[in-house]
Amino acid sequence: METRRLVFVLGGIVVVLVLVLGGLSIAVFSGGDSDGNGGSDDGDDPEQVDLPERVEGELRLFGPEPVTLDPACASDAGSAEYMVEIFSGLVSFDRDLNMIADIAEELPTKENGGISEDGTVYTFKIRQGVKFHDNSRQVTADDFKFSIERALNPDTLSTTATVYLDDIVGAREYSRGDAEEVEGVVVVDPYTLQLTIDAPKSYFLAKLTYPTAYVVDSREVGDASCFAGAEWTLQPNGTGPFQLEEWELGQSLVLTANQNYYLDPKPSLAKVTYLLAGGSALVMYENDEIDLTGVGVNDIERIRDPNDPLNAEFTENPSLDTYYVGFNTEEPPFDDPDVRRAFAMATDRQVLAEVVLKDLVLPASGILPPGMPGFNEDLEGLEFDPDAARELLDDAGGPGALGDIELLSSGRGASVGPIIEALVAMWEENLGVTVEVNQEEFGLFLRDLDEGNYQMFDLGWIADYVDPQNFLDIKFHSESANNETNYASDEVDALLEEARTEQDEAARLELYQQAEEMIVNDAPWVPLYHGKSNALVKPYVQDYLIAPFVIANLRYVSLTQ
Amino acid sequence: MNYYEVTGGRLEADVAEARPSFLFLRRLARRRLALVGLVVIVVIYGAGLLAPVAAPYSFTETDFGNTFAGPSLEHPFGTDRLGRDLLSRVMWAAQTTVIVSFAAIITGGLVLGVSLGLLSGYAGGRVDNVIMRVGDAFFGLPDILLLLLITATVRPRVDNFFDKFDDWPVLGGLIDSGLPDYVLVFGALALFGWVGMARIVRSQVLSLRETDYVMAARAAGARTPRILFRHLLPNVSNIIIVALTFSLGAMAGTEIALTWLGIGIQPPHPSFGTMIFDASGLSNLRNHPNLMMVPAITVALLLFAFNLVGDALNDVLSPRRR
Amino acid sequence: MQGLASYIIQRLLWAPVILLVVSMATFALGRYGPGDPVQILQGQYRDPEVRERIAEELGYNDGFFQQYWRYMSNFLQGDMGTSLTYQGQPVEDVIFPRLWVTIQYNFVALVLVFAIGLPVGIFAAMRQGTWQDPLLISIFLFFASVPVLVTIPVAQWLFALKLGWLPSGGWETRDILGVEIGLLDKRAIMPIVILTLPGVAGVARYMRAQVLEVLGEDYVRTARAKGLTEFTVVSRHIARNALLPLVTLMGFALVGLLGGSIFLETLLGIPGIGSYAFEAVFNRDYDGIMAIVLITSTAFIIANLLVDITYAFVDPRIRLGGGVGAQ
Repeated sequence: METRRLVFVLGGIVVVLVLVLGGLSIAVFSGGDSDGNGGSDDGDDPEQVDLPERVEGELRLFGPEPVTLDPACASDAGSAEYMVEIFSGLVSFDRDLNMIADIAEELPTKENGGISEDGTVYTFKIRQGVKFHDNSRQVTADDFKFSIERALNPDTLSTTATVYLDDIVGAREYSRGDAEEVEGVVVVDPYTLQLTIDAPKSYFLAKLTYPTAYVVDSREVGDASCFAGAEWTLQPNGTGPFQLEEWELGQSLVLTANQNYYLDPKPSLAKVTYLLAGGSALVMYENDEIDLTGVGVNDIERIRDPNDPLNAEFTENPSLDTYYVGFNTEEPPFDDPDVRRAFAMATDRQVLAEVVLKDLVLPASGILPPGMPGFNEDLEGLEFDPDAARELLDDAGGPGALGDIELLSSGRGASVGPIIEALVAMWEENLGVTVEVNQEEFGLFLRDLDEGNYQMFDLGWIADYVDPQNFLDIKFHSESANNETNYASDEVDALLEEARTEQDEAARLELYQQAEEMIVNDAPWVPLYHGKSNALVKPYVQDYLIAPFVIANLRYVSLTQ
Repeated sequence: MNYYEVTGGRLEADVAEARPSFLFLRRLARRRLALVGLVVIVVIYGAGLLAPVAAPYSFTETDFGNTFAGPSLEHPFGTDRLGRDLLSRVMWAAQTTVIVSFAAIITGGLVLGVSLGLLSGYAGGRVDNVIMRVGDAFFGLPDILLLLLITATVRPRVDNFFDKFDDWPVLGGLIDSGLPDYVLVFGALALFGWVGMARIVRSQVLSLRETDYVMAARAAGARTPRILFRHLLPNVSNIIIVALTFSLGAMAGTEIALTWLGIGIQPPHPSFGTMIFDASGLSNLRNHPNLMMVPAITVALLLFAFNLVGDALNDVLSPRRR
Repeated sequence: MQGLASYIIQRLLWAPVILLVVSMATFALGRYGPGDPVQILQGQYRDPEVRERIAEELGYNDGFFQQYWRYMSNFLQGDMGTSLTYQGQPVEDVIFPRLWVTIQYNFVALVLVFAIGLPVGIFAAMRQGTWQDPLLISIFLFFASVPVLVTIPVAQWLFALKLGWLPSGGWETRDILGVEIGLLDKRAIMPIVILTLPGVAGVARYMRAQVLEVLGEDYVRTARAKGLTEFTVVSRHIARNALLPLVTLMGFALVGLLGGSIFLETLLGIPGIGSYAFEAVFNRDYDGIMAIVLITSTAFIIANLLVDITYAFVDPRIRLGGGVGAQ
């Protein structure tokens, strides 16, 4: 009896072992088969890892996992990158950062009567013949009214819709549930949409390029909110240059060309595959698994070497962002502009950009990144000058008067990274101030910023749309919700308010430059650097441009092979 | 951290056969591998303890003119991306490991495991049942996930609480050194870690309980605590020695895993976890291998040494296996 | 066998109690810890008014028991809520494909650990006293000593970069009779190897100890005198005594699935349950965290029970519950 049980148990174990080992060896063998018997003779050549079968006209990328593909809920750049390819709106930016008419027939201006004389009423002619991906029907003004109202609808629970759309008259009321419809969105006829805003704001069009204002298919969306019922985004029916073929959560996302796309150039790529998971992107690139990759600080020196085979495939382009250290300007010691200036002048941005970040970035002297209208090339800012910095600090009471200083940093993991470590070392050396670093995960970091529970922090800001308002007004106007440093200056406020409604473009940029200069001198921020996007691009990929911020980019790209 | 460390299953298997013996030190000395292991432990722990006086540089001293330097006379292990001396940082990291190991033992997976195991085995019946079922529950939880959650949610409150005492003379210094963090993290770890130890001790006690001398002690009117600590504890001490050795090693490994998850050591104090985290990733390893290999090899040696010593102890403490 | 039945019933009665406590603790940790998922989704855009409205709408402002009850009653009806990591997607759609990925490679690694560990242990014991025994055991002890966070990048460097044999990470599946299988792809090899190597030492040392013990027994000498080979005797004894604890080990190894897979999946980019768990905590993905904890705890309770029953089934002499001398 007992022996029989033993035989049974042992037999079972043997069977399992055989099954699994057998399965594994099949795995190994079939892996060898699929790469076209190329596995054995070139094992030492890293170019020859077995390639997945390649479709004609397919571009393979390594991409971030989107949080959501519902345009109404867009809040992060990683998700927006896919949305701008799948969906589209009235206006957008082309790759030269010029605003272009998208589903709108032409850009509204005062000359063509699209913008009213007082600058508050925008009339859009909707392009005829723009169809949803499933080819079922044309986009009309009603679709836009539906989409904008859906984004603002309190039941949609969008965290960011009000940020982009609340210039429209009645948007706030509607988003609170106090109105039946958004007053400022009027369908004049099926192909004419009228948007009324609360003041003449010349950056309003730029805000409409963000996905929150894109058009979605009302039949498909139903009553899905940002927090429930998002299954429709696995098969969304959009209007953009590409159509979502498949999104396997955590694995891959596949786009195919929209054959009926209405703008030129039409997409040339047949298919774009994003791998959402994987090991090292650079190794994947070198092993020909993907056609394009960014380069990190560890590899950059090797790739900059002209003798490196990858060197010829490297390109870089400044991006529209600014990284900075911000101060709590309401509490001592950083309520004193001299203390802030001392820290700014004790920060060697040159070393930071060149030594620590290996020229992957550009040192920043002002707030606006290069490429942004109004960028001031001559702005000197608070230059590195350790002696003057020390003097300023001594006049303000010296290092001893500061008390304990703590820098709030966001991140997960073991280390705050080389940038913060270098900053701390610089301040220690140049000012004699020991700054402690408190690293918190992003959620707690945001909460502490929100509650003013910090002395200084480091953060970056990426352009949502190409307008200096997106940096200066949002970050430094004393009443802006996004002014984390609580910086308040009546003069700066006055300049920013004037710029909001100034109709002459040159005069408007001049106002922003004046404001920027005052802000930099008051030093609520120590601007550290502006990022550069860089990439290795395979030679057969034509016309790939690294966009300085999120724009629909893929339709320009083609492959030669 | 592989599953055997996580579950403690390996430990259970290793020490289940241990038997009392008093000659183990001499027997241990006969094992050359174990001796080598002991030397390695002493060297690394010694370097850590002496770091404040012996380290050639401070762990924060940067030199932007000399980053990513290879080994040289001034910097035997080279420098990192900020020009900091790797040898000094490794020594300070070893100190962190020493502190962490003791914090872990003080806070207690071991203490908790041994006492609950003793109690469970001796009392039997309902007490045993409750302890073991509670143990099952803790054993079955996704510990790393909950640890992440506990530290993410509880630690900010603990920190806020202790910040109030920041200016107190002695306490303030302890708080600045991050001790409350260690205690919290390893306290949470102990919550999940006591079960394996308790099971081993319990099974050992079960077999000792009915032996003559325990019976005799009970008949003579000895009270329960006395029987537990005077009669039973010494007889399970071999198991404890072996378990202690393995868990000291495991703690050094755990520190790396926890730090990598962002719930262990906070900067700027270097630890093996932060150093490996900073240097991990394929492109780092490819372009600056010494940044990764210096701390990795040191910590691997330390863990290996603990395993060798533990293994040897396990053998010599079990008379049947000499 | 009557004792067995009542034992199983007793254990089954404990299960819901354990799950209740665990789920409440997890729920409380999430809801009462600092960090607000809506704020995380809003990111750098501050709009407290909108944030408050959404939190109210999602029920985050309700009482603890009300929220807990709502979640659990939905859960028991098969609705695990919606993810915040994948905003708006049902948790069950996120979690089950990922769980399946993790189970695949972990199961193979587990089997390999035993398939290598058992013979290594027996061999080492047979060679006790020679140089082969300590060398063999030390090699595997060394693998067990290297932290997995070091092993992973080194393995990537070796296999993907130097040798070019394997991709540096990721996970590819093939559709086989409607089931997505990832084991048939080269990408599965690296995680399996990384999980297997450090595990072998534990099993091998355990096996070695068992065999050594048998070799010392009187009946082995007797059997040998009777002309039976050493191998026959040893394997019979091992079958009888050593396999039971191995079953335990295997069962408990299941629990470790999640812990180990967090690192492996995050670094190798494998879309399994571990990488999701990691993201979920940082995103305060309340429903996702709850689902992971409930599923893994339930799985463990069942595995634990099965192990104990197997124990009792294979060797009825083992007394259950109180152990030796239970009152």
